[in-house]
Amino acid sequence: MRLQVRSVQNQGIPTASMADIAFLLIIFFMVTINFEVDKTQVLLPRTDLRLEIPKKSAYISVTEAGQIRVSSGEEISVPVPGPEDVLSFATGVVAADPSKAFVLKADRNVPYSYVDKVIDALKQSKAEVIYLLSEQETVDTTGGTGG
Amino acid sequence: MKFKRDQVSDEIPTASMADIAFLLIIYFMVTTTFAATRGLDFSLPQEEDTPLVEKEDSVLIEIQPGGNLLVDGNPKQLDEVLDYLKPKLEVNRMKPVIIRPDPMAEYGYMVAVFDELRQAEDKIGFEVKNVSIPTQREIEMFWY
Repeated sequence: MRLQVRSVQNQGIPTASMADIAFLLIIFFMVTINFEVDKTQVLLPRTDLRLEIPKKSAYISVTEAGQIRVSSGEEISVPVPGPEDVLSFATGVVAADPSKAFVLKADRNVPYSYVDKVIDALKQSKAEVIYLLSEQETVDTTGGTGG
Repeated sequence: MKFKRDQVSDEIPTASMADIAFLLIIYFMVTTTFAATRGLDFSLPQEEDTPLVEKEDSVLIEIQPGGNLLVDGNPKQLDEVLDYLKPKLEVNRMKPVIIRPDPMAEYGYMVAVFDELRQAEDKIGFEVKNVSIPTQREIEMFWY
């Protein structure tokens, strides 16, 4: 009696499509990535209402210690010596694009006098709209809301 | 005489392609930071001849250091502000509401008050249309 030879089963995991999957993931990352023009670490104020900020907006960040960085939205932010320099920066940005939105990324604990000077500079430069960058309001463990 | 030729594979070796691709993915995942891209919008006045507002015709919200609020001189909690504004705005929807933070008050409290006013439509049924946050320079120039 002749026994039929068993077909040899391949023990390896098929990995031929692995590269295709990986490259699809890379393309997804590259398409969806938002390059952050300002990486200043601040504690943002918390709000319930949060609107989407237009892309390529100009950024002004203010740390808790009052250090200010600015970016026109096209390049990485650079530090400026004081609030007076925000006026010349904002005037230049508004001259190039009058409808440009400004994003104020200020630490929630910074004394308001620092922010006041920045807002004043933006008003004088004839900026149309400011977005006050915030994070989502969350209920804290004590039952109240942060802010 | 016979020459033995080496057999050259006519396929591109792709065995390491997946390794390279996954290394790139790991690089992207490690270096990506999630940017905060949401906030409150605040339109700035554009006209030079913005009308001056009499203090008596407006509602003044003062923010003291520590977050204490004085609404028209009376201490109020944040969640009481809209209830105070409601009857006044029912008479005049365009009544100016002025937010005036103390220079030493934390910025977060100003945003909290502004956030509360922006939610008026959901909480009291109509929006607070005329919110103003004068700067110190404007106060010194126009406040009396």
